[in-house]
Amino acid sequence: MLTSGLVPLAIIGLTAVLAMLLAPRFGAATVRAAAATGLVLAAIAVIARIAAPEAPAPPLFADDGLARFGTLLASLSGLAVLGFLRGHPAAKEGPALVCIVALGAAALASATHVASLFLSLEIISLALIGLFVLPLTRGALEAGYKFLLPGAAGSAALLLGAAFAYADSGRLDFTAWHGPSLLAGFATALLLVGLGFKLSLVPFHVWAPDIYDGAPPAAAAIAGSAAKAGVVIAILRIDAGLPAQPVWHMGLAALATASILLGNLAALRQPSLSRMIGYSSVAHSGYLAAMIVCGAAQAPAAILFYLAAYVPAVVAALCVAASLGTPATIASLRGLAWRRPLAGGVLALALVSLAGLPVAIGFLAKLLLLEALMRSGAWGLFGAVIIGSGLGLYVYFRFFTALFVRDDPLPAPRLRRPEHAVLLLCGAMLLILGLYPAPLLDYLALAAG
Amino acid sequence: MALIAMILLPLLGGCAALFAARLGRNAERWLSVLVLIAGLAALVSAIVDGGGDGRWLAISRTPWAPAMGVQLLFAMDGLSAAMLAISLGLGLIAVFVSWKTQANSGLFHAALLWTVAASNGVFLTFDLLVLAFFWELMVVPSFLLIALWGHGEREAAAMKFLIFNAVAGLGLLAAVFWMAATAPVITFDAFVLAGSGIAPAAQVWLLGGFALAFIVKLAVPPFHAWLPDAHTQAPTAGSILLAGLLLKTGAYGLFRFPPLLFPDGYLVLAPWGLALGSFGALYGAVMACGQTDAKRLVAYTSVAHMSIVLMGICGGVHFALMGAAIEMVAHAFSASALFLLIGAVYDRVGTRDLRELGGLQRTAPRFAAAFALFFAAVLAMPGTANFLGEALVITGMFQVNWVFAAIALAALVVSVVYATRLLKEIVFGEPQARPITVDLSARELALVVVLGTCTIWFGLLPQLLMVPMAPAVEAAIAAIDAAR
Repeated sequence: MLTSGLVPLAIIGLTAVLAMLLAPRFGAATVRAAAATGLVLAAIAVIARIAAPEAPAPPLFADDGLARFGTLLASLSGLAVLGFLRGHPAAKEGPALVCIVALGAAALASATHVASLFLSLEIISLALIGLFVLPLTRGALEAGYKFLLPGAAGSAALLLGAAFAYADSGRLDFTAWHGPSLLAGFATALLLVGLGFKLSLVPFHVWAPDIYDGAPPAAAAIAGSAAKAGVVIAILRIDAGLPAQPVWHMGLAALATASILLGNLAALRQPSLSRMIGYSSVAHSGYLAAMIVCGAAQAPAAILFYLAAYVPAVVAALCVAASLGTPATIASLRGLAWRRPLAGGVLALALVSLAGLPVAIGFLAKLLLLEALMRSGAWGLFGAVIIGSGLGLYVYFRFFTALFVRDDPLPAPRLRRPEHAVLLLCGAMLLILGLYPAPLLDYLALAAG
Repeated sequence: MALIAMILLPLLGGCAALFAARLGRNAERWLSVLVLIAGLAALVSAIVDGGGDGRWLAISRTPWAPAMGVQLLFAMDGLSAAMLAISLGLGLIAVFVSWKTQANSGLFHAALLWTVAASNGVFLTFDLLVLAFFWELMVVPSFLLIALWGHGEREAAAMKFLIFNAVAGLGLLAAVFWMAATAPVITFDAFVLAGSGIAPAAQVWLLGGFALAFIVKLAVPPFHAWLPDAHTQAPTAGSILLAGLLLKTGAYGLFRFPPLLFPDGYLVLAPWGLALGSFGALYGAVMACGQTDAKRLVAYTSVAHMSIVLMGICGGVHFALMGAAIEMVAHAFSASALFLLIGAVYDRVGTRDLRELGGLQRTAPRFAAAFALFFAAVLAMPGTANFLGEALVITGMFQVNWVFAAIALAALVVSVVYATRLLKEIVFGEPQARPITVDLSARELALVVVLGTCTIWFGLLPQLLMVPMAPAVEAAIAAIDAAR
């Protein structure tokens, strides 16, 4: 039993239940500590089985390298987000919801069947809506609605696509979309729309910047790290099951190109950090989708590396946004590196990483991205990535410069210990893995099979 | 070990300087000085006892990320050694130049040392992926130097610099990966790839990717748009590092890698490089004539001189390549010295407008003498190292095609025009409304004397440069000749 791949999922689920039970009786700090302990245990349970053999053909959930990596990333992201949840008004209910999102993301990374895919996506969506709206301010309610309606539209498209595929092939695993018929093509198009909503690819991205801007930073962080990683791994699995469905490949390539270009263009003049991160998440979804669609042999490892680079950068940026207490804009970030060297320094490193420059890990992630596109000869996507990188430099370095300007001293935000820990961990990951990636590369080559 | 130390010392020293600033008493400055002197000591020890093999003074291999095929492969010959000496030496000069002036000096010195470290990496590495890493790394600390301590429109100038150079660097990245993807084994080792027999048609494209990165950094027209702004807005130390060091990384890359990796592509593209260089030499010189801002003027002279370097590199004959190598060294001294002097003028009177300066020889004789010496260097007066470099390049051009030689000579004539005009107005003209009455301080004078001595010393004893650089030049010539 303990050797089953479902153990980490069970631990995260039980942690969520425990956090709910503790919430009425204990203080918020206790609930957070309990949830954090559970997530640490889940991460340990994954690491303990990291080299275990893959389970043979599972009915609903796979137990392979991709699933383990997704589960690890989900539990660690959840853990990091718990570290800056204190700014969230629903401090007692928050930890349980974060655990449920992490559970959904881990399940999504393991899903091999339409039923488990849909179930995981809905678990994530419902818990996220709770996290978004619980502050009960106008902005939070607006963010919740903006997430609910497109999310529902995406789910509906996904379900309809699955229904058509079932009508065509009589199957509900990820090979259901195989057929050459018109119906299968239509089903694939609907699947693409549904997943486009979930991964915030242009033109289904309209909700993303508003959410990042309106929701509490901790909620946006769990959506942008764990949930995104889960969706990406799920799409990777679906792609592996679709041999040569032109609708899928052309469509995903088009969505990726549009996301890379429009995401970066729209971020160019954003004064708000969280809104910029929202648009940047659209662009990075585009980079990830480009890698999935190019079909190079080393693409899966490159995608996992990209996620490992992207998640700490986003978590660190939103952690800083949460610690400011005021909306994080270029103006309010001015001189942060002098006021709070840790927060400013780690945010600077995260921005450099997102821009894809050394010394941060983002540079290597961009290298592997370009290599995957080049080896598969996807020159159109390659050109889009080059243009997107150029635009991205401007996007991220506007904020980067602001961090170091020294003019009128603004008040220094007060960072708590958990936030210190989150920033230190994210900064260490961004820097150390950027300088010495060999262990991570070896592990991911194994995980990606 | 000594090779790695030259990169690691400034890299870690920069991190330490961030925190040393809190100690006060110029701790971060002394720390930077110590680190750079230690780097020079490592350079000397690598030259004396590097364990090389005849072609290389020192060579070292360390595995790094075997899964990607990346290793730390550092090799140094006379050309690299000269560039490293310039890098560490100009780093020292930049520290001394900004001894009294900088706010936030911890980060300032960190950025300065990181720039030196990344450039040293470029000058040493022969693993192409690590080369790309250091190439892109250079941009970030230089961006900081311009964006935070510059003048006027500094953020826009820094952004321009960043986007131009980082995007052009992607050309290098793409070419490197394309080579690795088509090679029989997964490796980025330049020596292995050089022998892997890349098809001539592919070589042209690959060299195009490399050349894009290097020529944008070298700032040869029409790829120079970032340079006048960046130089003008940068602080004095930043201008010194930009002109003396960063431009040289582009020149070094062009000198080192195309003949080694893509000899067939080099033969195809060299005429285009000659055309680009000759246009740039004339364009830079003519543009310099029309400038009123002293820094912008020196920036355009850099454009002209780097175009001459490009001509030398694309000449493909011994004289031309040797001239390019010497011009790289000579320009580092003369351009840094001029930026240092203009910075000193700006500190005193708050202007760089040539129309508001004049009559230095009456009010500040040391200034006047220093300016006169380096104007002479910029117009390639015999006896300066600059003359040696340009004369060799022009000699080489006569062997290639007299048209290019004629254009280079014309550019030289134009450089005499602007340099003598400057001499007349700044040194011998009438003192203006705000005369400079405070002459060079002992610190500034010492730096100028060091740079001036180097300019004249190497101009009079060219063997000191030509003998150590000969192996690099000959290796390039041999590779080109083998492809003919």
